[in-house]
Amino acid sequence: MDLSQLEGIVQGRGSDPFDIMEVLQDIQAAYHYLPEEVLCRVSETMGVPLIEVFRLANFYKAFTLKPRGQHLITVCMGTACHVRNSPRFLDEVRRRLKVEPGGTTQDGEFTLETVNCLGACALAPVVIMDGKYYEHMTPAKLGSLLGAVRVQEGRPLAHA
Amino acid sequence: MPKLVSMIVDGATVRAPAGSSVLEAALEAGICIPNLCHMPGVHALGACRVCLVEVIPVAGSGRTRLTTSCTLEAREGLVVTAHSPNAVRARRNIVELLLAEAPNSRAIQDLAVRVGVRAVRYPMRNKNCVLCGRCVRVCDEVWQSKSLGFVGRGSDCHVALPFNTRPSTCKRCNTCVDVCPMTVTPCPGPQKAPAICGLCESQCSMAQNTPDTCVWCELGRGFQCARWQMRGLKAGIR
Amino acid sequence: MPRLDSPAALETLRQRLIAARAFWPVRLILSSGTCGQASGSLAVLAALRQRLDRPDLRDSVHVRVTGCQGFCDQEPLLIVDPLDVAYCRVKPQDIEEIVSQTLLEGRVVERLLYVDPRSGARVRREADIPFFAKQDRALISKNRWVDPCNVGDYIAAGGYSALAAVLSWFAPQRVIEEIRASGLRGRGGAGYPTGKKWEQCRNAPGEHRYVICNADEGDPGAYMDRGLLEGNPHLILEGMLIGAYAVGSEQGFVYVRNEYPLAVQNVRVAIEQAREMGLLGRNILGTNFSFDVKVARGGGAFVCGESTALMASLEGKVGEPRVKDVHTVERGYLDQPSLLNNVETWANVPDIIRRGPAWFAARGTETSKGSKIFALTGQVKNTGLVEVRMGTTLREIIFDIGGGPRDGKGIKAVQTGGPSGGCLPVSLFDLPVDFEALAEAGSMMGSGGMVVVDESVCMVDFAKYFLKFLQDESCGKCVPCRVGIGRMHEILTDFCEGRGTMAQLAVLEELAWTVQNASLCALGKTAPNPVLSTLRYFRDEYLAHVEERHCPAGVCKALIRYEIDDALCVRCGECIAVCPHGAIQEGETYVIDNAVCQKCGICEDACAPEAIRRTRGLVHA
Repeated sequence: MDLSQLEGIVQGRGSDPFDIMEVLQDIQAAYHYLPEEVLCRVSETMGVPLIEVFRLANFYKAFTLKPRGQHLITVCMGTACHVRNSPRFLDEVRRRLKVEPGGTTQDGEFTLETVNCLGACALAPVVIMDGKYYEHMTPAKLGSLLGAVRVQEGRPLAHA
Repeated sequence: MPKLVSMIVDGATVRAPAGSSVLEAALEAGICIPNLCHMPGVHALGACRVCLVEVIPVAGSGRTRLTTSCTLEAREGLVVTAHSPNAVRARRNIVELLLAEAPNSRAIQDLAVRVGVRAVRYPMRNKNCVLCGRCVRVCDEVWQSKSLGFVGRGSDCHVALPFNTRPSTCKRCNTCVDVCPMTVTPCPGPQKAPAICGLCESQCSMAQNTPDTCVWCELGRGFQCARWQMRGLKAGIR
Repeated sequence: MPRLDSPAALETLRQRLIAARAFWPVRLILSSGTCGQASGSLAVLAALRQRLDRPDLRDSVHVRVTGCQGFCDQEPLLIVDPLDVAYCRVKPQDIEEIVSQTLLEGRVVERLLYVDPRSGARVRREADIPFFAKQDRALISKNRWVDPCNVGDYIAAGGYSALAAVLSWFAPQRVIEEIRASGLRGRGGAGYPTGKKWEQCRNAPGEHRYVICNADEGDPGAYMDRGLLEGNPHLILEGMLIGAYAVGSEQGFVYVRNEYPLAVQNVRVAIEQAREMGLLGRNILGTNFSFDVKVARGGGAFVCGESTALMASLEGKVGEPRVKDVHTVERGYLDQPSLLNNVETWANVPDIIRRGPAWFAARGTETSKGSKIFALTGQVKNTGLVEVRMGTTLREIIFDIGGGPRDGKGIKAVQTGGPSGGCLPVSLFDLPVDFEALAEAGSMMGSGGMVVVDESVCMVDFAKYFLKFLQDESCGKCVPCRVGIGRMHEILTDFCEGRGTMAQLAVLEELAWTVQNASLCALGKTAPNPVLSTLRYFRDEYLAHVEERHCPAGVCKALIRYEIDDALCVRCGECIAVCPHGAIQEGETYVIDNAVCQKCGICEDACAPEAIRRTRGLVHA
């Protein structure tokens, strides 16, 4: 576990009560999840009891304690997306990739997450794949969404 | 000398230090307000909602509201009732929910009898924790160990150790186990069927006739109502 | 930008900036907030910059990149200023035509203009587009004039003049009186009188006072605050500065939800710029007043929109609310008096000071003054941010501004107030939108989410959706919310899967009462509203599910099945090709095998002659 990034993240922080949240968010961004070892080190360095760090890591949806897959698919399940059938789209993703929200596919390729509203309701149903927004998604468009990832990487389609 | 204020609880005048807990003041005065997550010596959480009272606004300043008496601070002229139809209805429904969560808890069974739950209208689950937070608070505030806590959100919320490992701060005092309402051996009553056996009633028959008076019942032997705890603490017993 | 050491210096700078802007002959305004970007505005911007990088255009055309302008359905919007032309849904490949025809020859590119669906006519000016015509865009229209990352734009448009006036001539008490006189009420949902809250904060005993902007905006389907914060962060900062001066605070926070990265970024940039200029920090504009603002990013928790949970989160803890017998205005962040207001509330403050409370109070109804921004979404044609005077009716918003139903199906209801609100049927669409009227009808105005629902939505499933949302977002501390909402969801699931009983309906109503009255915080207390309002106005749908095992809207999978109408089927084989489950059998007639069908609906979407439809399922009682 490479802890070198941690020093830069923690440095200079600790005087403001909110700093612990900033630190965790930066760790999530740097490591793509919150590794146990890193959190133990944060607890020691910043003097925040380990149970408190653990609580924060489990309470907020922005944090994951398990490593994420190569690609992150986030399906918006907000009200506007719901009335435009986002659950149907989510069901198709679950069936096709054989993964549940919060989980990662067996081959470590995709992590599926849901979010309760991104605030882009005019584009409902909205899906974010690797930080890029896709609008008006339907089950029929899932194939091309997954294919877009493969095309970028020049690899054959596995999840057809 | 802390300033004493006068309140009316269930029609009785109760005097207590300003800012103290209405629940504790009421219990001391012999008024029965059923409770579960309350524990003298740690801060009031207001989580179980069993100790709800209806606050009657003074001088027609609005609607009544239900709030937890454990977190309600005593102040001059406060008027509350723990046994108004609204308070009783809310309490009964909450205890029914608790019973459906953890039917095998002796403390919750007795609580159900005390508040008059006659039937459970939900499929029974069998949880071993109702998140009363006693263990968490006692560890944090009495022993200052901060070794366990509420982890997760919503229905996933559960009591856990950090990374499910006992941390070095844990003093192995076992108080978390002692104060838990689930650790009292359940009565041998027939809980296999999803129904309330009603056998406990025979021990609490007086209690039903006088719902708002403490009858020194032995609710949850081993896990006693806060009134017992307070009496014990004061007399140096326990 | 220079550091300003007095209100006079600000004025001087303002005049200079206005004069400089007058020299730009052509101004292009491109909307590029989060939804604009999701619709490709960045590619349009890149194409634009490339095309304009020529000697004859470089110095005469100014491009202003703004935040969301409100008509999200038509974004990216490109406005050509002196000609007053608004181009909709612009693509990078349109840039060549726009530059060569409109910029260089002054001709309009007809095909990029908005088409009024009712008249079929093309509309040239933004102001003439029916969507904007009935609005009172006091706040959202400001987005057109500012690039959020350019404080010069904000100042040139009159920004920080209210702050300067306050620091020069108003005692703190007078500021509070002006806000009180305006009748401004909190825009976050509860509608508490803002002036009264400021007064309470000022009078509360405490060593330090804090001013907080609630930008958590967790209601799904609501993004008004995002539009304001992303597009015009200085407006909110100015409001907070005035509030801080009024209550005597030196430290403020903007708590922004994690899911708004652009808003977080733009506020941070704005704060930096303001600090550089002496508009934040010590001795603002050379006076004794000092105030600084920090940005705190939420961790992804709807409950953190609740005041006590937000402040717990600011303190680095989990967002668990506490019992609110003592309000946060007296004991809030770090147990000190804290003034928490919503983004839109803060945004209204500078104009109230500049234009006077009477101007604000002249708009709206008796009890609800001013204008309100709504996020109009769902099955309506014109989705976007709509700002109207309080008292405008639902019908005017949904039909006149919103353009009516999107997919040609009848509108059934409107859901307002997010998960704390309720559904109102079409028969109530003549209700004026304000704090009181909607609440009396069983919903609430809330923070501004307005989701239009048509016949294709099952109201029981819709109520179930809100319960699931709240179950996920509940902090889990108290029994009524953690357990009660779960049990309500369990009952609705039974309804939607064909196992419901009338006895359960009674239990559902009793549970709703309990959760509403016994929960610890507002999340729990308002959680039953979607269920209660749908029971009130759409009871027939509940009864259909329970008594007949029938879903009238054809949504609940357990109660429907897909069927091919042989008379309409043209045997194109499209459905068989797209069915991921191999459930359609080809033969003399095409038949869907119900044992295999997963009811994903892909075939229905793919069938051109619309021969596939949903009918009652074969559920045994």
